[in-house]
Amino acid sequence: MTAAVETFELSKDYRVGFWRPRPYRALDNVSFSVEPGEVFGFLGPNGAGKTTTLKLLMQLVFPSSGRATILGRPVGDLAVKQRIGYLPENPYFYDNLTAEELVAYFASLFGIRGAERRKRVARLLDDVGIGAERRMQMRKFSKGMVQRVGLAQALINDPEVIFLDEPMSGLDPLGRRDVRNLILRLREEGRTVFFSSHILSDAESLCSRIAIVAKGRLVAAGRVSDMLAFRVLGWEIVLDDLPVAPSSDQWGGRLRRVTRLDEKRFSIELSEDVRPEETLPLLLARGGRLVSVNPVRESLEDFFVRQVNAAGDVSRFLDDAPRVTVGKSGETVTKKAAAGSGRGAQ
Amino acid sequence: MTLLDRPAGRIALLFGALLLLATAAGLQAMRDARFQTDQPAREVLYVQSPAAVSRLALSYDALASDIYWIRAIQHFGRTRLNKDDASDDYTLLFPLLDLCTSLDPYFNIAYRFGAIFLSEPPPGGPGQPELAIRLLQKGLVARPTKWEYLQDIGFVHYWFRQDYKAAAEWFDRAAKVPNAPWWLKPLAAHTLASGGDRQSSRMLYRALAQSDENEFMKKDAQRRLRQLDALDQVDQLNRIVSTVKEKGAVAPFTWERFIRSHILRRVPTDPDGFPYRLDEQTGSVTVNPASSLNPLPTEPQRASGTPPA
Amino acid sequence: MTTILRIAVQVFKECVRDRVFYNLVLFAVLLIGVSLLLGQMTAGQEVKIIKDLGLAATSVFGLFIAIFIGIGLVSKEVERRSIYSVLAKPVTRTQLVLGKYVGLQLTLAVNVAIMTIALYGVLAFYSWTTPALAKQAWEGPALDPAILKASYLILVELSVVTAIAVVFSTYSSALLSAVFTFGLAVAGQFSADLKNFESIVDSRALVWFLRGIYYVLPNLASFDVKLQVVHQLPVTASYLAWATMYAAVYVGALLIIAVVIFSKRDFK
Repeated sequence: MTAAVETFELSKDYRVGFWRPRPYRALDNVSFSVEPGEVFGFLGPNGAGKTTTLKLLMQLVFPSSGRATILGRPVGDLAVKQRIGYLPENPYFYDNLTAEELVAYFASLFGIRGAERRKRVARLLDDVGIGAERRMQMRKFSKGMVQRVGLAQALINDPEVIFLDEPMSGLDPLGRRDVRNLILRLREEGRTVFFSSHILSDAESLCSRIAIVAKGRLVAAGRVSDMLAFRVLGWEIVLDDLPVAPSSDQWGGRLRRVTRLDEKRFSIELSEDVRPEETLPLLLARGGRLVSVNPVRESLEDFFVRQVNAAGDVSRFLDDAPRVTVGKSGETVTKKAAAGSGRGAQ
Repeated sequence: MTLLDRPAGRIALLFGALLLLATAAGLQAMRDARFQTDQPAREVLYVQSPAAVSRLALSYDALASDIYWIRAIQHFGRTRLNKDDASDDYTLLFPLLDLCTSLDPYFNIAYRFGAIFLSEPPPGGPGQPELAIRLLQKGLVARPTKWEYLQDIGFVHYWFRQDYKAAAEWFDRAAKVPNAPWWLKPLAAHTLASGGDRQSSRMLYRALAQSDENEFMKKDAQRRLRQLDALDQVDQLNRIVSTVKEKGAVAPFTWERFIRSHILRRVPTDPDGFPYRLDEQTGSVTVNPASSLNPLPTEPQRASGTPPA
Repeated sequence: MTTILRIAVQVFKECVRDRVFYNLVLFAVLLIGVSLLLGQMTAGQEVKIIKDLGLAATSVFGLFIAIFIGIGLVSKEVERRSIYSVLAKPVTRTQLVLGKYVGLQLTLAVNVAIMTIALYGVLAFYSWTTPALAKQAWEGPALDPAILKASYLILVELSVVTAIAVVFSTYSSALLSAVFTFGLAVAGQFSADLKNFESIVDSRALVWFLRGIYYVLPNLASFDVKLQVVHQLPVTASYLAWATMYAAVYVGALLIIAVVIFSKRDFK
């Protein structure tokens, strides 16, 4: 099955500085692939190269080396553009047009005409929550409303693959929730969603697979569940009807923390490497009832910070930096860098 | 709460502003009355070179030429109206017309008017017939077959330079242009033969008055014809006075005496309606100084010595 | 092709929204105002002056629109990044540049057309109110169809200036583009001078250099037939054909340059 999106050793150098321009490597040999029908999160801190990657995919900039494909064809292919949608970061559209006119204009560029166009424009604006304001000139729109219009124009052609650059940025919680629901709906409809973000909680709940970039390099990639399964930090047991409140001094330090939830209800965090199977009998010896047992996983945030810091440490030793790629079946492959491959930013 | 917060306060402030503006206007009036008002600066032509102006005008030469034309007319009109102000003269007239016609070499009226205005002797004009001829010859470069320019050159020679031979030559050249009117040939001949007399002048002006080119020119030609009529009438009246003197009449000479003696029916007036002046002592008749026909043209020398017909 | 037209129509609509056509109001005020004042000052030359003024104003206003809208056509979109969403659509960069150019030309064509109609309107008024006798003094009829030739060539000249503006717009910021385009437009008027320099200048190398510039610079002055039209001098159909061809060739070259520059640009 062809990947929805695939990049092969994609790199981008910019020249920075006026008098003696030096090369700045915004993206360094990034390779990943996105399966059709999945929601793929492209994560990283600001300046990591997320937007550069998206621009390379949209052919707004040209790669210094490497290549990329969308739906099996090289980027920029006109037939493919018919089947994709794109929402840029902090979008700006034509101020003196109304929302309706803007979406209709973009629809016309796809060749959608007449009654079909009117129908689609109306439906899409409804979907993104733009009501009567659709007849107002966009210069009067708030940031959130512009973002919604941006989503509408990204979806006007019923795309198979949707690219969203920081779709939640600048939205209030209501707006964020709407976007999340939209992405979920798109997934249900079988579309592929590729979105970049630095808000990890969204990625955690929406994405099936993610890639993390930092300083222009891919530092981690794979299934969210796989990556977070790496580290189980501990277990949390909730007990009720305990006759006596447990305390963390008991049982030889097996309990890291005890939190009282109610008069007889407690949440107990076990220390690292302590298994719940052996601790439960001890806790319930004097009576009580088991409510729940849950693993405490490293959050994506912790994972993220760890990876990014590692990348920062390591990028000083450029040629030894490991390259991480994501294979077709979702496994991550870490390879040592080939000697003599490009210098990164300092 | 300051004044700005209250609507009434804002209105009051605006009213105050209005008062201040009125005061400014009043001060201006006072200044004009009290202090010496600015002398209007003498009109200056900053750029005199046609080539430079043509470059500055980019592709808008025609419009620039129109502007210079308007300036030329205003300069002429203003100077003419301020006859008593000796500091005003017609110095800019030729440069302005020169610029105008350099920018638009086909600007017909500039050539023809220019010729008339430039030739007119002071105080009516600068009295520069040579410049008038130069201007017309420039017009001929752009339009060699415009017989009107050739005729005009002849005319300038005739009337303002009293060079009848040259005038006849130019009339002849004008007559040779295809499509030239029939009367140029006889005009050339007549000029040569008896140039300088009123008859050929009349012919010339009648021809001009017939040309449909321009309302202004027509009126000017008609006025010249009336001037010639006035000269005729003055001569006639002078003959009457001489006859009366021969019969023994003495001063004072007044129109009433002539009327009482039934020699004249009423006070003679020139074609513009102004009564002729009769000198009480000498009895010589002249055109009224207040007449709109003034200044009368100076009588050109006669080619063959015969008295005016 | 239809994509180009769609983009062109969009540009036209934007120009309308940007109130470009208000310049027509200024034009009308100018023409009518001046014709009211002219009466006393021109010794019977009103018709000539109105024609001169009308054509000159059509040219000047058109030039300003061509330059100031032209330079913003592409560079404004890039600066504001509204171009990101457009290029993600099935539109090639070439189609975008050409569409913008056609759209501005459409706007200019409408502008020139309306101005020409207004000019004819004022001339019709003069024709109607002037007695037949005075009319004989006019060099040419007030409602002279030859004026259309001048208007047409003004539009042709504007098409070249617009192309220059678009070329600069593809890689330069708005301000710089304005300066360069205006400079070229003015330089294009002086082509004749360049040719004449040859007789003044001594050095052969300089002569070749100047001659080279003369042929390379667009000779915008050759599109100016205002003088001829007003004075009833002939402007032949073959001249109009030559001018159209010259402009088409020049515009073609400029648009190709614009498309090539634009096609490889990174939008940072």
